[in-house]
Amino acid sequence: MHPFGNEKPLNALGQPAMPAPAASQATPPFLSSGPVVGFGASGASRTTAPFSSSGAFPNPGAQGAPQAMAPPLSSRPITGLETSGYTSPPQGRFNGLTRPPQPSYPVQDPNSFQQSLAPRFPPTSQSPYPLRSPPFGAPSVGPPLGPPPAQVPVVPMGPPPQISSPSPPRVSMAPPVLDSSVPAPTAVLHSPLPGNPNAPPLVNMPHQQFPAGRPVSMPAPQTFSAPNAPPYASPFNAHQGGYVPPPPPVGATLGFNSMGQTQYPSTGPPLEGTLQGLIEDFQSLSVASTPGTLDHGIDPKLLARPLEGDNEPTSILETYPLNCHPRYLRLTTHAIPSSQSLLARWHLPLGVVVHPLAEAPDGEEVPVVNFGPAGVIRCRRCRTYVNPYVSFTDAGRKWRCNLCSLLNDVPGEYFCALDATGRRCDMDQRPELCQGSVEIIAPTEYMVRPPMPPLYFFLIDVSVTAVRSGLLEVVSKTIKSCLNELPGYPRTQIGFITFDSTLHFYSLKSSSSQPQMMVVADLEDIFLPMPDDLLVNLSDSRSVVDTLLDSLPSMFQDNANVESAFGPALKAAFMVTGKLGGKLIVFQSTLPSLGVGRLRLRGEDLRVYGTDKEHSLQTPEDPFYKQMAAEFTKCQIAVDIFNFSDKYSDIASLGTLAKYTGGQVYYYPSFHASIHEEKLKHDLARDLTRETAWEAVMRIRCGKGVRFTTYHGHFMLRSTDLLALPAVDCDKAFAMQLALEETLITTQTAYFQVALLYTSSSGERRIRVLTTAVPVVTDLGDMYRQADTGAIVSVMSRLAIENTLSTKLEDARQLLQLKIVKSLREYRNLYVVQHRLAGRLIYPESLKFLALYVLSLCKTLALRGGYADASLDERCAAGYSMMILPIGRLLRLLYPSLIRVDEILLKASHKSDEVLERLPLTTESLDSRGLYIYDNGFDFVIWFGRMLFPDIVTSILGVDFSTFPDLSRAALFERDNEISRKFTKILMKLRAEDLSSYQLCHMVRQGEQPRESSLFLSNLVEDQTASTSGYRDWILRLFRQTQQSS
Amino acid sequence: MVGGLLVWLIAFFLLVALLVVVAYQLMCLADLEFDYINPYDSASRINYVVLPEFVLQGILSLLFLLSGHWFMFLFSTPVLYYNVKLYQSRHHLIDVTEIFNLLNREKKRRLFKLIYFVSLLFLSLFWMIWSVMEDDD
Repeated sequence: MHPFGNEKPLNALGQPAMPAPAASQATPPFLSSGPVVGFGASGASRTTAPFSSSGAFPNPGAQGAPQAMAPPLSSRPITGLETSGYTSPPQGRFNGLTRPPQPSYPVQDPNSFQQSLAPRFPPTSQSPYPLRSPPFGAPSVGPPLGPPPAQVPVVPMGPPPQISSPSPPRVSMAPPVLDSSVPAPTAVLHSPLPGNPNAPPLVNMPHQQFPAGRPVSMPAPQTFSAPNAPPYASPFNAHQGGYVPPPPPVGATLGFNSMGQTQYPSTGPPLEGTLQGLIEDFQSLSVASTPGTLDHGIDPKLLARPLEGDNEPTSILETYPLNCHPRYLRLTTHAIPSSQSLLARWHLPLGVVVHPLAEAPDGEEVPVVNFGPAGVIRCRRCRTYVNPYVSFTDAGRKWRCNLCSLLNDVPGEYFCALDATGRRCDMDQRPELCQGSVEIIAPTEYMVRPPMPPLYFFLIDVSVTAVRSGLLEVVSKTIKSCLNELPGYPRTQIGFITFDSTLHFYSLKSSSSQPQMMVVADLEDIFLPMPDDLLVNLSDSRSVVDTLLDSLPSMFQDNANVESAFGPALKAAFMVTGKLGGKLIVFQSTLPSLGVGRLRLRGEDLRVYGTDKEHSLQTPEDPFYKQMAAEFTKCQIAVDIFNFSDKYSDIASLGTLAKYTGGQVYYYPSFHASIHEEKLKHDLARDLTRETAWEAVMRIRCGKGVRFTTYHGHFMLRSTDLLALPAVDCDKAFAMQLALEETLITTQTAYFQVALLYTSSSGERRIRVLTTAVPVVTDLGDMYRQADTGAIVSVMSRLAIENTLSTKLEDARQLLQLKIVKSLREYRNLYVVQHRLAGRLIYPESLKFLALYVLSLCKTLALRGGYADASLDERCAAGYSMMILPIGRLLRLLYPSLIRVDEILLKASHKSDEVLERLPLTTESLDSRGLYIYDNGFDFVIWFGRMLFPDIVTSILGVDFSTFPDLSRAALFERDNEISRKFTKILMKLRAEDLSSYQLCHMVRQGEQPRESSLFLSNLVEDQTASTSGYRDWILRLFRQTQQSS
Repeated sequence: MVGGLLVWLIAFFLLVALLVVVAYQLMCLADLEFDYINPYDSASRINYVVLPEFVLQGILSLLFLLSGHWFMFLFSTPVLYYNVKLYQSRHHLIDVTEIFNLLNREKKRRLFKLIYFVSLLFLSLFWMIWSVMEDDD
């Protein structure tokens, strides 16, 4: 399918395949853990034994010990899936949303029992009670409405004895309030049946007519024997009219069973089976409003909230144990539709989120494989790498590609006999045949130049703002402290340029004791003074680099230059690093004002907002940055931007540098060292020391009938399906969307394989291969059942952010809403025929959080409101960072945790592993006597209630609120008291959960406007704000729109 | 009427040149799609000929205008307008970073242009023959 050459990116670039460059030849041989591949200048290293790991690669000729009989591989995956759909017991699902779990049923049981046995039966007991149930004739399904149930006359719903004995748990459906409000049934004893106020509903559902209907004229299709009837009828009819909100399950039970019962006249367990299947397919939320009242009928307590955070769909691994772990690759739904028409009914994105270098917990690292002389085993036609899903035939001499079904030869070195079941005997010893994620050591064919050394080049703004804010000092200190931990010792290369209105180069020759600074003032025609010494090997020139970093802050401390020649500096940096590639780290605190790439103040014109031109402010103005980005990618340079401006600095333009080079944008509005120092230190240290994959390319392959169409994230497309990633690390994820071809997919399983070819910091060329199998389905319900909210939200957020670059913000939000409405409507249509759904919003269990996430997506910095709601730079920076976030962190950002800590602080016991309980993000969770931490993964907001115990405040802050301290400047550090120590411990614990970002503490006091609302209240996503709806209204709106026929 | 014939001849050659240029751009895009060349080369090749194409088209329109062939001038104004618009909004060059996302649109654009120029070519051929016939009469 794709020519082999494509995975050799450098060739395609037209970049000369250089012989080992001078710089790298000077370096001592790199550290390479495994067998040495390539780069050894003479190629002699290839003679080292490739099979260094003794056990893993048995002699191909050996016949291997007879294996335990195992089923053939291919048959395994398909079977499991069907069963997995219905795993959880029905009660659990139902209780989950429609009503809070009611453990109280045993209490009610006797009561209701008695009721139903009571002789005062004639059950048309409704007449005294006005029929308040909603008019849609589905009283059987409405869970409790908003009003307190006490007002509602309720007849106990005790099940008839016949049923209750086999299945007591189902009794739990009984409403909580019972006996007291039950009117004496005697009163209605003789209520004439024609008076049936419940007639309309009954007419609507004739086959729910149970024997109680004796008096009712309708001939119901019942097969009930008389003795059965009364107990059944009583509860049923009673609830028909008497109840306002009859409990759904029982209603549903009866509704569905009427059919079942005709088949099983013995009203027994057989019912359960049918019920189970029907009921637990979906979840629902009652939004029925009572006619004549203003109550909208949603109980906020019942709304779904992802308080446990992201849960990776690891259940897939149970069905497909050979798949790669979902932390690396997640599909928006783990089921591929078999045809385009089916896909057209799935209105959510169909795609994949790949996080190729996700950090694995200890013990689950990706195994490394070396094929040695056999070469990397790949399919001849589609270039798929050998993986657990290929099948070996012809006594082990051939293997069939699982993507394109081509029969390939097994190289002699790789041959292994098959056992009786057709399994390779050495299967268990070969990670590539028994695991979905492996790392293959790439031989020299996968390099067009020797693997590059890790290279860090710093471009530092030294204009007056950078110096005054303390930026320069923090940066120099942090870089210096990280020098020891830079990956790739001893090959690491390093270099510096500083700039204000001129460019300053530093010669770091190892033979000199002092760095030598050279100033170039000619911005039009940039040249490099002493080009050989600007980029040096860190271990050779360590002392010079140290001296430079020590002296940098003092060198510029009196600098009064306000200009920034950023564009020329960028060009100079490109000239220095262009030959090798690497990582360019830019610290920038003023709007570029001199030379090429100067930017002007945009976004001042208020008239643009809300019009069709709004988006133009979020796209780069000067093509210079795009061109530079393209050049950088071509030369394998990634750009990370640290921006510190307190004024407008056009992140939209600068960010393109990061966007197309696989970089990242960090934004610290109004940076000041005293406040932001810790955060900057952490972020920069993380950036410098995390394991990075260099000069990488990534491709995702899939079988016939499926095709990848669009890719979203920070990278550059080098061909229709090849992502160029000059540097990629564990903090970056990529999303892609799928399309289907015209033809039907006939296979039962579709396969996806991600291959990331990269150079590790130690100088090895490696291929990380992630393989996953996905069932092909013909039923929309299966797609919904296997949907993965996290992946869907991730793809949708990227799409929405890309939309804001070409349309209005409002339109981008509308589009999100439209998608979710369409998909819920489609889902509703699946069930509306067989179930009575009026007044309920139904959604699949798998997507129960989707509505909330989309709502909060609309409220994120990147997409929220209009002009006034977020500054342009903040908006762009948020957009850029959301484009690379892995799923877990994105969900954390969308639904941050809110934790109440004052009780924990005051508690005497201090167990360190105390569970921090997350609260719903609404003002109703707040108590003015409490202390709360809001944590979105990037920032902490610490909210002090107005009536918080003063001791806590003084212990933590060292001041009293009575003095009205300025909390925006207050520093938070550990003080010498118990409470403060505990508090710091909690913060540290929260930070340790996710090391990829450091949460900066913002402290805010209740009622401290406007900081409180901008920092905190506007982030409580479930609340209504001026321009956005709250969670309840949002659900209501979705419900109304799903009701309307399209 | 020799002048008339000359005008048509010039127009014919201009149109052929335009056709070649547009076809070349289309070829580059197709090559890119099938992965024969990398986006950098493809974009620079296309961008190299975009301005000449616009200039040629401008000359052609001017020729029609000056030689008083109103009908043909009107016929060539839409593309002229479109080119000027593109140039003014600075979208006339291919953006190498987004080339794959824009590939289909760019191809369609050029395909339309190609068809348009072919029809213009036939029209001017017709007029050329017509003017030759008139000369003979």
